[in-house]
Amino acid sequence: MFNKILFATTASPTCDNAAKVAFDLELKWDAKLYVFHVLGIPSRGYSPFITDVRTGELMEPDPDYIEWVKEEMKNTYDTLLADSENSVIEAAVGVPYREILRKARKEGIDLIIMGSHTRQEDVGATRYRNIVGSTMQRVAKSARCPVVIISRPCTTCWKLFSNIVFGTDFSKASDYAYQWAYKLAKEVGAKLHLFHACDLNTSAAGVVIDQSEIENQIAKAKEKIEKRYISKMNGYDNYEMEVREGIPYVEILKFAREKTGDLIVMAHHTKEVDPEEAVLGSTVEQVVLRSACPVASVNHPDKVADL
Amino acid sequence: MDAVTLEKDGAINLNGKTVRSDALELLSFQVALEKGYTLRSFFEMLDKYTLFAKLNAFFPTYTEQYRSCPGQGCDTGLVDYLEFGKTVEMIGAPDKRLEIYNALFGVHGSEASEIKSMQLDSLLDLPLRLGRLKHIVFGDRVDIFEFDTVYTLFELIDGIGWELGFHATPQHCELRR
Repeated sequence: MFNKILFATTASPTCDNAAKVAFDLELKWDAKLYVFHVLGIPSRGYSPFITDVRTGELMEPDPDYIEWVKEEMKNTYDTLLADSENSVIEAAVGVPYREILRKARKEGIDLIIMGSHTRQEDVGATRYRNIVGSTMQRVAKSARCPVVIISRPCTTCWKLFSNIVFGTDFSKASDYAYQWAYKLAKEVGAKLHLFHACDLNTSAAGVVIDQSEIENQIAKAKEKIEKRYISKMNGYDNYEMEVREGIPYVEILKFAREKTGDLIVMAHHTKEVDPEEAVLGSTVEQVVLRSACPVASVNHPDKVADL
Repeated sequence: MDAVTLEKDGAINLNGKTVRSDALELLSFQVALEKGYTLRSFFEMLDKYTLFAKLNAFFPTYTEQYRSCPGQGCDTGLVDYLEFGKTVEMIGAPDKRLEIYNALFGVHGSEASEIKSMQLDSLLDLPLRLGRLKHIVFGDRVDIFEFDTVYTLFELIDGIGWELGFHATPQHCELRR
């Protein structure tokens, strides 16, 4: 299912959880793993100096320096590399999200794996900063392949996944996310949980939605799930459908926990927006940071249709 | 300044009397914690003053979890106590800004440790203390200035709610292994 995997790393402990999953996937799928680190941002146009993303210091990125960074990366991942059969370590200079996207496009990557942050944050501080790392946000927005974001230790081996939760807002991007989730569930023999949360927060302040209206919304959502997803399953019966009302990110996190979800698959929170223009919606951001399991963001049909 | 004392059985004490019903006007009051106050006391407060539980979307989930935890002994010994603190951080780059935020963390010895990977049943009976204000200047996390400060009831409830909203440990994964 995945021939080429790109693990975009800061080569620091913040990406350790993502590293384990990336190397695990390489072995499970016999894929080629690119361990890729963007080491510095050019200080200004044509400048021979870069700002090292890890140290913040101004450096001259000559080939020796890049080789030294690669050597450092090898040391960082030495235990994981010991079992790895088909991985390459690469480093580049540039703006991180741009270089990651460039690399993914050039190599025809099937899956990008990332951590959610460049640096360790206090939970309190996340309120005042970009909730998820801006690199991750930009990569997820523009990548042509699914992006899996890992912010907690995940000890479940990918092929042992038994519960995949697909959260939908019935957007076009959700259809691509569904295709990917469905194919993955089929491939690994996992149960696919189709989930939608009716957002009751969008009503005008003070307006009370009565129970029959809520039930009506839930029934409609169930109908949509039947029509859009279940009817395309070609007899695959290892699935479950659930519709709840509430704040979408809270409900999906609760649901994933109840079902001991191993992976949450979502599209960006955008309705009928061109994927090129879609930004990572607030629901995905909230889920990424708070989820116990990895979250896959799918925003483009390219690599999904190939599966 | 108006102040309330949070008692270890979850009650709120105002001027020596126990507050009987939800009192939103108390949210702006300065808080002091009774000796022996724990995270369990905090959840007992949410049980007693139910309106407070509406301040964070995750409280219903966590109060449910709290009710299913054992009545005592919810303390693994990994941290000595929980500290609720306030941080003022001056950031110089790329843009100049000042951030003020609250955080709940564990303290073991004199070291602060993250608690988001710990389950609620290993935190509930840990003592909860109010910490000093930390002032971080331009990313210097070694020489941090510390000052005495006060916390309002709202800060405490909101800060703990925010922190717990990030608690998600993949317990099931560990079990499956």
